Amino acid sequence: MKMKRVVSTVLAGVMAFSLAACGGGAAAPAPEAAPAPAAEAPAEEAAPAEEEKTEEAEAPAEEAASGDAITLNMWCIATESDSNRHSYEAAIADMEKLYPNITLNWEAFENESYKTKIKAAVSADELPDIFFTWSCAFLGDFVDAGKVYCLDDVYAKYKSELPEVMLGNSTYDGKHYGVPLTMNIVGLFANMDLLKEAGYDEIPGTYEDFIKCCDDLKAKGITPFGCAGKETWCVTEYLESIIEKSIGAAELNDIFVNGATWNNQGVADAVDTFQEMITKEYFDPAGIGLTNDEVKANFMDGKYAFYMNGTWNCADFAANDAFKDKVKVAEFPVIDSSKSKLGQLIGGPSDTLAVAASSPNAAAAADYAMELGKYICHYGYLDGCGLPAWTPYGDTSSINPLTQAVSEIVAGADSMVLFGDTAMPADDANVYLDYVSQVYGSEIDGAGFIEGLASDLR
Amino acid sequence: MEERYTLKKSNPALKVFIYILLVVWAFINLFPIYFMFTFSLKSNEEIFGKNVVGLPHEWRWSNYSSAMGTGNMGLYFFNSVLVTVFSIAISIMAAMMATYALTRIKWKWAEMTNAFFMLGLTIPLQASIVPVYVILSKLHWLNHYSTLIIPYSAFTLSMSILICTGFMVDIPYDLDEAARIDGCGLWGTFFRIIAPLLKPALSTIGIYAFLQCWNEFMFANVFISDSKHRTLPVGIKALSGAYTTDWGPIGAALVIATFPTLIIYIFLSRKIQDSFIAGAVKG
Amino acid sequence: MAENNSNNNTGNTRSNAKFRKGLDIFLFLLPAILLFVGILIAPIAVSLYRSFQKWNGFTPGTFIGFKNYTDLFTSGSLHFVPALKNALIIAFFSVFVQLPFSLFLALLLGRKYKGERFFLTVYFMPVLISTVVIGQLWLKIYNPDYGILNRALMAVGLESWTHVWVGDPKTALGSVVVPTVWQYIGYHMLLMYAGVKGVSPDLREAAMLDGATNWQVDRYVVIPIIKPIIRTSVIFAVTGSLKSYDLIRIITNAGPTHKTEVPSTLLEDMLFLRNRYGMGSTISVMLIILCFAFALAITAVFKDKE
Repeated sequence: MKMKRVVSTVLAGVMAFSLAACGGGAAAPAPEAAPAPAAEAPAEEAAPAEEEKTEEAEAPAEEAASGDAITLNMWCIATESDSNRHSYEAAIADMEKLYPNITLNWEAFENESYKTKIKAAVSADELPDIFFTWSCAFLGDFVDAGKVYCLDDVYAKYKSELPEVMLGNSTYDGKHYGVPLTMNIVGLFANMDLLKEAGYDEIPGTYEDFIKCCDDLKAKGITPFGCAGKETWCVTEYLESIIEKSIGAAELNDIFVNGATWNNQGVADAVDTFQEMITKEYFDPAGIGLTNDEVKANFMDGKYAFYMNGTWNCADFAANDAFKDKVKVAEFPVIDSSKSKLGQLIGGPSDTLAVAASSPNAAAAADYAMELGKYICHYGYLDGCGLPAWTPYGDTSSINPLTQAVSEIVAGADSMVLFGDTAMPADDANVYLDYVSQVYGSEIDGAGFIEGLASDLR
Repeated sequence: MEERYTLKKSNPALKVFIYILLVVWAFINLFPIYFMFTFSLKSNEEIFGKNVVGLPHEWRWSNYSSAMGTGNMGLYFFNSVLVTVFSIAISIMAAMMATYALTRIKWKWAEMTNAFFMLGLTIPLQASIVPVYVILSKLHWLNHYSTLIIPYSAFTLSMSILICTGFMVDIPYDLDEAARIDGCGLWGTFFRIIAPLLKPALSTIGIYAFLQCWNEFMFANVFISDSKHRTLPVGIKALSGAYTTDWGPIGAALVIATFPTLIIYIFLSRKIQDSFIAGAVKG
Repeated sequence: MAENNSNNNTGNTRSNAKFRKGLDIFLFLLPAILLFVGILIAPIAVSLYRSFQKWNGFTPGTFIGFKNYTDLFTSGSLHFVPALKNALIIAFFSVFVQLPFSLFLALLLGRKYKGERFFLTVYFMPVLISTVVIGQLWLKIYNPDYGILNRALMAVGLESWTHVWVGDPKTALGSVVVPTVWQYIGYHMLLMYAGVKGVSPDLREAAMLDGATNWQVDRYVVIPIIKPIIRTSVIFAVTGSLKSYDLIRIITNAGPTHKTEVPSTLLEDMLFLRNRYGMGSTISVMLIILCFAFALAITAVFKDKE
């Protein structure tokens, strides 16, 4: 029963919300995409096992016709200690059975240094056949340079399993270039033990209650939030949610991807709201000098009541026996209900596989990458590393309750805006992060934020 | 004879004070080693807050097995040793030959050429990554040990030449003359007379080049894409995940990377110091 | 100069010998030249070329003349000037704190204290330890909650002195300067100690017999002799500071809000994070020019004094 609910809610979510499209396109999802998963859904819910079987039978047959033994190279960031590691290993093991003629050599690199590596590889035309990338602007630069293989032909085969809305972030000029894996949103994680101490059994749903809760926590000597100032992306997890819940998803999306001006009073007010929370000492003042690892350890150690960060944390929280029963997840409450509403989230599919245009076996690699992406997504979802970009199948009842809670939030989603630093071109993203860190350091206020960005970015 | 001047007039109180200073400073410099070792046996909770500098509550030797097993540190260690040793060897050989030509053969542009080589001390590594990568890629010369060995020896070359110069100008020129009279050419003089006399320079250059190569990350990260040829710094970095990092095994890997060096250094320290002394003054 | 050597030869073999010598010089230099030009000079030439372009690293670039160079010094949002200033501050502390302390230790140990070799060995150890470890250690020292520094301050009743050391704009730069300066004290000390030991004991003896104290001997006999080593150390300290990178990435990651940005971190951001390869090349060319200029200037200063 539980399993069915999860599957259907996720699907409902997929159909309902709209995702921002990159590459200057409109934010609207392709309307014809929605019916496809809808039609498939009942069948899957009824017989997920059967679905899997038919696929396994199909694929080798296809391959036998299509090819000699080839070797493909892949780079990714699923290092040994990464939470995605297991899903890659499991998926690749499955793929070996499905594609006996393809040998996959895959290498994993550390996240930050991978960015250097992949960019140098693009410059030198040394890309492997399949590579991990972040969607939107990061991949967009490579697409512009003509280094990425277009996946439109292969995608036709997978249309029923991969809703087209999920490809918005890796679609440029109407063409698809990426295989989305898992997707994540920003979640408001709460330590319920601490909330209870302040007299709350649930995470407050309205902004007024939420602020009151923070005050009550303060009164009890509990720090409401922890946020790592040394890694600016952690600050954006808070700031972007606050801006979105103040000015609405559509407006924020226009600013992030469609080139609307930053000179927006709503943004300035939202920044001031955020800074007010800082001046009221809702945030641990030490956070400005900490890394995310340290802040997260503090949160799990019961130092903060709330921690806003990506839902990829679900797997870690759920894996910690001492902590998993204390933690709950919710979305940030609405600040200005005339402009925003619940269900407007920050996040979307960003982790992506792409195929190099220079690959000698690009067509086979594209096919392989699609199939592999589906399996990685499947196992990643089961492991709680994120929500599936692909239509889920199989038994999902073992998924941890936190991830299930997130999928319910997503099911009720109205619209999603991708993380600002992923959505913007690299240089702009950096300027943006600069200003965000100045906001967190209280060096500029809301007015300074919008003026600075408006003049530096356009 | 030497003792006389050092002991003369020395104020006992001052002496005690100086000893205290030396010992305190020694503790400050030994502390990182203790820290690194205990760090490698702790869990994230202890590292981040619960027990930062104390002995581990629970000695997690499993950090080592996970660094060796899943992290594959044994192979990376071997690769690092191989790459470092060959880089140092090539750098020393090229530097000795060049220094010979620059200091012991008289020619017009010697000083100019020397200045040209010193330019290498100023070049930031980051700036050359992409150009070198493009060159190596055009030559189909990626993913070998030599992919790292050659750039490393090039980057240590300037310093090696500088150090060699210090040693070489110290060798009396009469030796060259004598060798010449005995019928040695320039090559004979170099290989039979000069090169053996430069032995003390080896450890000075070796230490410097070792520091450069052993911890080098950027080239190793970009130029090497297969884990067969990965070196320690990249391997250690790969122990951290995108959003979650278990720091204990990283500590263990750092110990694996550092302790052998430290032990070798301790055994050879007297020799190393003597070689520094031999090459000094000329700067 | 070039003639001196070949004067020994008889006239008719002279040009032949000259050619032979030229060839030998060339062959002796060949391995070094190949390495040097292939791996260091060619990339710099490429960087120089790219520094006149607006180029993202993947697509064809556009030539924009000296715009990158002028932007570097006029555009506030690039943070190059503050980054340079930070590097110079680090260089200042290296030259005026690190080196004097190294010299002090070297002179002290040069006086044959008992256990001199032990101290020497121990003081050099931080140089051998990976920057990652040094960085992590200092992060623990600076940590606002459980850091040793804040705890020590609290213990002696100086609560008001406690800081979020690496996050506070006022203390961030200081908190990277201290470890940077500390880690390489041992390195310079060993170089200088070697020089001190090279001073002939007779010279010392003579000075002592004239009634000089230990410090006077150091000041008037030893230091002038090891001047070339001090010069080399100064050059290393300055160029090393201009290129400083590792510890800053780990301890402050160039933050908060660029307060600890240095040219190398900026360079890396431009090349690999912000896709501004042209600008990154410009920064690297500037760095090379600056390092070289400083090296020449330092050499000149030491020549003047001699």
